[in-house]
Amino acid sequence: MKRRSFLKKAALTAVGTTGVPYLLPTGRLFARTNAPLAEHVVVVLFAGGVRQQEAVYQRYLADSQGLDIEGNVLYNLLEGTPPEFKIVYGVNTPDGQPGGQPIDPILATPLNRLGTLFPEVRYTGGYTGHYTGLSTAMSGYYGTTQGLQSRPLHPTIFEYLRRHGGAKATDVWFVGNGIGGSTPLLNYSGHRDYGSRYGANFFAPTVTFGERGEKYIKGFKCFHPEEELSYINEMREFLNQTFMAQGRTVPGLGNTEEEKEDIKAFMKSTFEKLENDQLAFPPVTDSGDLATVGFAAEVMRWFKPKVTVVNMSSPDSCHASFTNYLGALHRCAHAIGFLWDFIQQQPALAGKPAMLVMPEHGRNYEPNAILDENDWVSFDHDSDENSRRIFSMMVGPGIDGNLRIGGEDNPVGDAADIVPTIAELLGIKDRVLGAGLLAPTARSLFDRI
Amino acid sequence: MSTFYPWRFLAPLLLIGLSLTVFSCREKSYVYEVNEVTVSPNNAEKDKDKTTNQFVSILYSNLYQQALSPDQQVDLSDLIASIGDKQLAYETIIAKFLTDPDIVLPSPAEMRADPTQFVIDTYRRFLVRTPTQAELAFFVNYIESRPDVTPEMVFVAFATSNEYFYY
Repeated sequence: MKRRSFLKKAALTAVGTTGVPYLLPTGRLFARTNAPLAEHVVVVLFAGGVRQQEAVYQRYLADSQGLDIEGNVLYNLLEGTPPEFKIVYGVNTPDGQPGGQPIDPILATPLNRLGTLFPEVRYTGGYTGHYTGLSTAMSGYYGTTQGLQSRPLHPTIFEYLRRHGGAKATDVWFVGNGIGGSTPLLNYSGHRDYGSRYGANFFAPTVTFGERGEKYIKGFKCFHPEEELSYINEMREFLNQTFMAQGRTVPGLGNTEEEKEDIKAFMKSTFEKLENDQLAFPPVTDSGDLATVGFAAEVMRWFKPKVTVVNMSSPDSCHASFTNYLGALHRCAHAIGFLWDFIQQQPALAGKPAMLVMPEHGRNYEPNAILDENDWVSFDHDSDENSRRIFSMMVGPGIDGNLRIGGEDNPVGDAADIVPTIAELLGIKDRVLGAGLLAPTARSLFDRI
Repeated sequence: MSTFYPWRFLAPLLLIGLSLTVFSCREKSYVYEVNEVTVSPNNAEKDKDKTTNQFVSILYSNLYQQALSPDQQVDLSDLIASIGDKQLAYETIIAKFLTDPDIVLPSPAEMRADPTQFVIDTYRRFLVRTPTQAELAFFVNYIESRPDVTPEMVFVAFATSNEYFYY
């Protein structure tokens, strides 16, 4: 063989062996990866729009209502002394004072002591709207042209994990606190290379297991696997084959028949637990957010997913009632404390999951004109600088405890960081970064320490 | 010298011309007929997927043989929106409907009395078409050779088939 020919063939072989594995449909064979830090990740979207002033800086009424009363209402998340006056955020007292009794803490040690807190994270792109914020958290990309009632433009973490990490459909769950807005659309994107076949399972459990579910699902007939289901599957398979001969299939999440039966068994079990008051709800469950987190705990116990995302939204009551907003913040922290405690009590999960907590965006610095029942002003979220300020927290295996990165004058972190951070926790960071579909500002929070 | 008679030449010519005129104008007439055929769509023409509202209202009509009320339609659509896997959502709702004594379901005896008619009726009811000979043969044979198969199982297979998601 001539030297020139040899060099040419050697170069082509090198390029082929290096590049082809990355061009395969899954892009995974031989692709580089990092060692996973956690077996499971749970993301709590502390959403609805949270002001830094009442959250990490614990200013209670001091930075909003002109009252010199400070204090920490998120004591399951952050260490700090609760307010001593004008208590409105708890449950009603026995003598009827609205919100006058704060909810007892669940965690003996607040999460910030167990994990790493980024107190000043920035929402750097796009309008500070709920769906854009949630979509950014789930996809790591600011969908500045993202429309409502449409799926995220770029792949979600669920799709990355299923396509590049080989996760099955029941390994990834989005538990939404309702079907309003575009919440049910966050389980997969409209990206042509990803989409439904890599999507997450989704429940809006207050609907699925609520009044409508009781009426139209509860008590559904379960077919016997051998005596009934096998016949149904055979006949359906025949029908589908004749239809597929025309080139048509039904787009779905790719749950296998076994996974579908498992989900149905979960649904049946959940209805039974509800009926018998055996569901693991937080000690105080007086809001849809708290109930949703209770159902998310059941999803985690049953499926032990690699990624579970649960969203809340009650802090958005701040548009019209600062009093209700304080109560919502307090309950969200209660829900997060409950979920962390619940996980640690499950033998199959204890010590394994990492948890990430982040609001989807902040709220304005200046109030609107609406006064609530205490004559306190309310706040919107119109993309001012304050509404671009959020915090982020991570806790669990491989994450440093009692660490605080950044501060009021030193912002560290971006709202798009959640996706690369989860990817690093689960060992697919290089594949996710390699896809090239994240916001330019997105980085793993580990890289910001 | 012989005498010239012009009619001796003209007569044959006139005869030929007359024959051509008469016979060349005779046109054969045909009457065409067609066999009587019932026209219904085949599965190749189904390329639009049903919306959730379409699916639940058609499903309800197919099972109950009556229309779904607007309130029920809203409730069912919300419920389906709350479950990510739509096929699974439909399967559980169908399985719930099947526990309702009000659904219109042939008895196993009726199905086995005339499996051919049952299969044709089921195709028309759920897939709005007549089965092909191959489809008819498969299902008739399947039902006849498996005594445990019930009309309920056949209905579930049809209502959860991929073709049922399209129109």
